[in-house]
Amino acid sequence: MSSPILTANNIVKTFGSGHTLVRAVDGVSLDLWPGEVVTITGPSGSGKTTLVSILGALLRPTSGEVSIDGEALSRMSEAELSRLRAQTIGFVFQSFNLLEALSARDNILFPAHLAPGGVKAAAPLADRLLERLGLSARQNALPKTLSGGEKQRVAIARALINRPKLIIADEPTGNLDTKSGHQVIMTLHDIARDQGHSILIVTHDQRVEEVADRVLWLEDGSIRDRKSEARIWVRDPVCKMSIDAWTSTIFLDHEGERVHFCSEQCRSRFQIAPKDYPPIKPMRPRIDMEEQA
Amino acid sequence: MLKWAIRELLFSPQQLFANIAAVAGAFALVLFFEGIFAGESRQIVAMIDHTEADVWVMQKGVGNMHMATSFVADWKIDRVKNVKGVKKVTPILYLSSAIEAGGSNWFSFVVGLEAGDPRAGPWKHAGGAQLPAAGTAVVPDIFASDAGLKIGDTVRIIGRDFTISGFSSETFSMANSVTYVTLADLADAMSSLGIVSYMLVDADAGVAPQELAARIMDEVEGVNVLTRDDFIRRDYSIAYQMGLEIVWMMTVIGGILAVLLTGFIIYAHIAERERELAMMKALGVRNLAIYGATMVQAFTIGALALCLAIAAILLAIPLTEWLMPKVSLAMTMDALLKTAGLAFGVCLIASVLPVMRVLSVDPVTAFQQ
Repeated sequence: MSSPILTANNIVKTFGSGHTLVRAVDGVSLDLWPGEVVTITGPSGSGKTTLVSILGALLRPTSGEVSIDGEALSRMSEAELSRLRAQTIGFVFQSFNLLEALSARDNILFPAHLAPGGVKAAAPLADRLLERLGLSARQNALPKTLSGGEKQRVAIARALINRPKLIIADEPTGNLDTKSGHQVIMTLHDIARDQGHSILIVTHDQRVEEVADRVLWLEDGSIRDRKSEARIWVRDPVCKMSIDAWTSTIFLDHEGERVHFCSEQCRSRFQIAPKDYPPIKPMRPRIDMEEQA
Repeated sequence: MLKWAIRELLFSPQQLFANIAAVAGAFALVLFFEGIFAGESRQIVAMIDHTEADVWVMQKGVGNMHMATSFVADWKIDRVKNVKGVKKVTPILYLSSAIEAGGSNWFSFVVGLEAGDPRAGPWKHAGGAQLPAAGTAVVPDIFASDAGLKIGDTVRIIGRDFTISGFSSETFSMANSVTYVTLADLADAMSSLGIVSYMLVDADAGVAPQELAARIMDEVEGVNVLTRDDFIRRDYSIAYQMGLEIVWMMTVIGGILAVLLTGFIIYAHIAERERELAMMKALGVRNLAIYGATMVQAFTIGALALCLAIAAILLAIPLTEWLMPKVSLAMTMDALLKTAGLAFGVCLIASVLPVMRVLSVDPVTAFQQ
């Protein structure tokens, strides 16, 4: 019987003290199993970045315990945590965070320096990843010449180069257009399905939820499983993306109606020229009761 | 990390060149002052060097020519001549004095030569008579052109006028120059009859200068005897020591400037790449590896800056000779090694300066937009 890759038990993280004390994460517990895709979503300031930093062994919790691959992080030194991050966790960031001076291939191989086999051992895998992610022709390109989608695919390949058991992705589609975002979602989904990586995704993008095994809702530092809850699906008038109006945090009231958006970018476009984006008729919300059905 | 450190430096060639040029400027400053002192010090021993006497005889207790006075009774000339292994003895009278001409003053070695004997005379002739005759002087060409002097003009040496009869070359620098008159004229002006200052001794073929020096010391009382190499070393060292504090001060100033510049450049590099460093830390790169990378960058900048500074000074030497003939600039191995050592120290300190900045990079910021 397999055991969870990631276990968080009653995690609490506070900042400040006295009157200024903030409980950024408040008693979060969760398990992440091999091959499972879990998304964490929630409004801005809900503690998503703090939680993902703790789960990614970057930040120590005030109390509670996190274990990755059976090893309790609280008992590890900083050097051991660095080694764990290098060899067991792959990170995908919203703003790609590629090294500007290195080519796509060198970026992918960068974490291999931190793995026992080194770059030489990882080179064949880098070539396979480049091919699988459609980047073979762009392997020598510098990040500044890559499109957003290409950059994120390079970042995903970089996250996979050391064959980590856990991948943590922070808003992986946040800076991408609809098409590139969809590609990235499907890539992450395929990786989990084909290679058994566990993937934890922090996102606002409702499309990611469609490929997730579980959707966790974080609000005021507390988490709850939201897959069983009802949703109200509406469409972003700019990019036509489906959005859950119950959890949407980006919206504005226009001509007496609340209009929801997938991102600030879409809201800005709408504000500049609302006439260019007529509401999709009928704009009546669809209530989706997945679990009950 | 090594690959990243180098690629990151090369990522913006213009910026890299500007950084290297700035640090090279500081190193060049150090090399320039070292070069000036080396050049001037070398000029101070130019006469001893160029006359190529095997052995120098001087008053007992005297070991230098620069800033020194030596009196040896002239009857000792024959005593030296009689020492086995001595081929030729050339006495000179010598004085360090200010020379006045054309409304200018300059410091000079005044050398009194035996009439008609070129052995201790100018080694490079630049016009007019090669040797001084009674009542005349051979002066450095650079001073003459600077003061607007020509053949037939007058120079005043210790209160006595001499007519310029010729010009010598390579005998002038900011610190020192050599003016030639006859021994008899100088003795008269100094009221020092029956006295010489130094004797230039040429050895017979096959006689080692050290051996000859020891023999003269044994056989002639009341004199000091030095081989040419020893004499040059001692004078050079005296001259160099006189400017050592200034050279040291300039080295410190140049060094501090280079540390600040290199440190600032590395610090700015880190600040500029803070997000990349945060991502590296998030991926598991340790602080030590990042320090290593900054050290590689600092040493690369330092090494390239040193090469650029050396190239600039090598170019400056002929340029200085052309633009400022009074200034003697020389590149010595000693100055090179010293500046290379300074560059090493600069890079070491400069790569340590941004440690706090590296430490303060929070890997969590990699998640921030």
